[in-house]
Amino acid sequence: MPFSAIKQRFGKKQIVTWLGAIIVLLLFVLPVLKLVLLSFRGEQGLVLTNYSELMQQSRFWNTLRSTAIIVGGSTVLSLFLGTAAAWLIAYTDIPRKRMLHIAILLCFILPSYVLTLSWSSFMGTQGIVAKLLGWLSPGLMPWSMYSMGGIIFVMGIHHFPLVYMFTLEVFRKIPRDLEWASRAGGAGKLETFWRITLPLALPGLTAGGLLVFLASLDNFGIPAFLGTPVNISVLSTLIYEEIIGFGPSAFARGASLSVLLGLAAIMGSLLQWLLLRKSHASDTIQPDYSPRYTLGKSRKWVSALLWAFLLLVTVVPLFSMVSMSLKKAYGLGLTASNMTFNNYRYILFENPRVWQAIQNSLVLSGITMLVCLLIGSCFAYIRVRKPSRLNRLAELATAVPYTLPGIVFALSMILVWMEPIPGWNPGIYGTMAILFIAYICRFMILQIRSGVTAFMQVDISMEEAARISGAGPWQRWRSVLLPLTLPGILTGGLLVFLTALTELTVSALLYSSGSQTIGVTIFSFEQAGETLYSTALSSLIVVLIAAGGALVLLVQKWATRKGVRP
Amino acid sequence: MKTIKKSLVLPALTAMLLFSGCAAQGENAAEGKTPGSAEAAGISGALSFYTSQPEEDATKLTAAFNAKYPDVQVNIFRSGTEEVTAKIQAEQQAGKTQADVLLLADAVTFESLKQQDLLQAYQSPEAEKFPAELKDSEGMYTGTKVMATVLAVNTQKVTVPPTSWNVLSSAESKNASIMPSPLYSGAAAYNIGVFSRTGGYGWEFLQTVKDNGIAVIKGNGAAMKAVASGEKSYGMIVDYLVAREKAKGSPVELYYPEEGVPIITEPIGIMKEAQNTDASKAFVDFVLSEEGQKLSAEIGYTPIREGIAAPVGLKSISEMKILSADLDQLTADRETDKQQFIKVFGE
Repeated sequence: MPFSAIKQRFGKKQIVTWLGAIIVLLLFVLPVLKLVLLSFRGEQGLVLTNYSELMQQSRFWNTLRSTAIIVGGSTVLSLFLGTAAAWLIAYTDIPRKRMLHIAILLCFILPSYVLTLSWSSFMGTQGIVAKLLGWLSPGLMPWSMYSMGGIIFVMGIHHFPLVYMFTLEVFRKIPRDLEWASRAGGAGKLETFWRITLPLALPGLTAGGLLVFLASLDNFGIPAFLGTPVNISVLSTLIYEEIIGFGPSAFARGASLSVLLGLAAIMGSLLQWLLLRKSHASDTIQPDYSPRYTLGKSRKWVSALLWAFLLLVTVVPLFSMVSMSLKKAYGLGLTASNMTFNNYRYILFENPRVWQAIQNSLVLSGITMLVCLLIGSCFAYIRVRKPSRLNRLAELATAVPYTLPGIVFALSMILVWMEPIPGWNPGIYGTMAILFIAYICRFMILQIRSGVTAFMQVDISMEEAARISGAGPWQRWRSVLLPLTLPGILTGGLLVFLTALTELTVSALLYSSGSQTIGVTIFSFEQAGETLYSTALSSLIVVLIAAGGALVLLVQKWATRKGVRP
Repeated sequence: MKTIKKSLVLPALTAMLLFSGCAAQGENAAEGKTPGSAEAAGISGALSFYTSQPEEDATKLTAAFNAKYPDVQVNIFRSGTEEVTAKIQAEQQAGKTQADVLLLADAVTFESLKQQDLLQAYQSPEAEKFPAELKDSEGMYTGTKVMATVLAVNTQKVTVPPTSWNVLSSAESKNASIMPSPLYSGAAAYNIGVFSRTGGYGWEFLQTVKDNGIAVIKGNGAAMKAVASGEKSYGMIVDYLVAREKAKGSPVELYYPEEGVPIITEPIGIMKEAQNTDASKAFVDFVLSEEGQKLSAEIGYTPIREGIAAPVGLKSISEMKILSADLDQLTADRETDKQQFIKVFGE
């Protein structure tokens, strides 16, 4: 970025721009640099000893192997489920598509640890499945969720909506005339799918697959709840265990592991970006919403099957979790005499820490949302109206904390805020402040993306028209920009709020006494074997999320009523 | 436009208000706002309490303390002993630890904190009723209870009562036993240290136990859960948890093996840089006082203070055969023991 170019473009605003650049560097780029440096630091300057030490541990190789299997397996499962669901919704005349759409997204909206708890109570020795199997033949046991298979399964169902959302649009944009041409040329349904639909959908599918790959690398909740008790570690949980179990003496080891995990994530993101760049051509095609295949007689049972699947993966396990939270003691069966509200009474009235956690999470996500709304939206506006290389770089930089796996980002936050400037300790680590900084840095990009999309939809001519009619900047914002962009911006803000509310990974590494969050509290209960409390609190959280989700839907409804496309 | 904004902001605000309102209620209910006694006068402010006790017990302890000292706001940080220690080290490196008072699993943990010069001496008048061997001579820490690690069994799965630790390396517990991880639990770290230095056991014994398919889970609570639910038949678990679970109606039983049991004392100590020294001292006094020790016994722990009986179903310290090892050596080797454990158990 040559200095003269900035001078020409900004003149007086130079200082502001540079300040902004420095802040972005400090907040978003420096943490990563510090982490990489630490991983190479040894007794005498920069060395590779941290890495070579890792390579000598069988534990490290086991972890790599299970990470590969889990990430690979769950990506394949999500791709399969997501593509199947997207194909049904995009191409067939299956009834009640809107409801189905919401039901599919539910798997992703629930925090991974809630989904995990509901599945482990559903399939556990005390669960519904064990009872049913026990009826069939005594001694028959359900398949344990505390296994590689269990982790892959829960991850697969948690992430398949990502693939679904991605491929839905891709499928809708495949021109049906191509398919007709192929059918007219004598190819059968299957051959058309293999030779036309699939190749055209492939870039979207691969990009969706990479997205799931990233999400699985990033996921900490599922392997921490299901893997740790049976000694299955993945990279993210191994980093957590090292840092939490050994403290500062493990920082260098954790940093080396983080660099490896970060590299995998960055490679994935790059690949995805390249693929999406290539498939830009389809952007001009209008999506086609009318069904291409009539299911005919099978319409009823395909629909029933899909509903049954969706109910089975979310609603039924959720019920199981709620019933677990109503038990008197863990080893007891669920009968009327063993039912009690004691667990709820305890977490709501007898344990002030739970309330503190709920308050902390609400305050954290509320303030994070407000800060992101203000700064993110302003940045998005500048990014859309005055695009420059500098603010494109800034946008890339803000994407870094979100792209990095949470555990890696959290560790880099510790490293930076322990001693931002050599010799100066701001005393932020171990207080709420570090959580605020971490949340804002990590979720800012969500708000920026929503903001950019919203401002893109308002043509500059609208603003110019307002200016010509004599409206000042304030007036322009109030009567033109805000009414048109608010729905998109607010949806982004709510997304930030909900993501932050149930966050676990970053807070697990950064929380301290008095700054525990909801996710951390559930995790601590579960680690201490207090399943009755963790399921009770999770059940309450589901209610909170449902309320939040309803709010998002309301905003979108209101937006469509105003004629703005969300 | 304006109405829309209102309709969005209002629910959010009401939600927040509701929550904070309920929270305040909950806290009041927990503290049972009784006016404090004369000695509580002038003791106030925030007190940061780092502990490895189960959530519920820590909550009960602080609630009882608050009944006496209503003006102190106790912030609890709870995790496994090893994790709490790591947290203290990290905070130390970041400038200063947040903790005022610590209550962690074993004397070894406190010895190493003492060697790092992180604790302050406090000779509590209440500590006079405690035997010398269960407290630090300089008053850096004092044991608060006696906790033995015993064999827990699921009574639906096991009919023959085990009498020896060797059951863990024999066929009847093949792939059916569980223990907490010394990388998380201080009790487990202590046990590993003792077993690996006890004649007739050593790392060889631990290796055979591992080869026999023992599962390693994070904490004692999680190990207890696995035995209570029948996922595992045998567990190496601290005694009071088993007794308490049994009292709740779970199908579990505890056995003290004839070779003896390793015991820990869950000491309490004050950090050198404690921000709230008065409240810290008041808290330590309370935990060691007759009232505090009685509360401990009610919760289900074996108290140390003279004249307070052990809870039903637990042995008192005089009835136990104790396995132990040299404290200084255990302290010096704690990290090496943990690394050795990773090697043997391939965690």
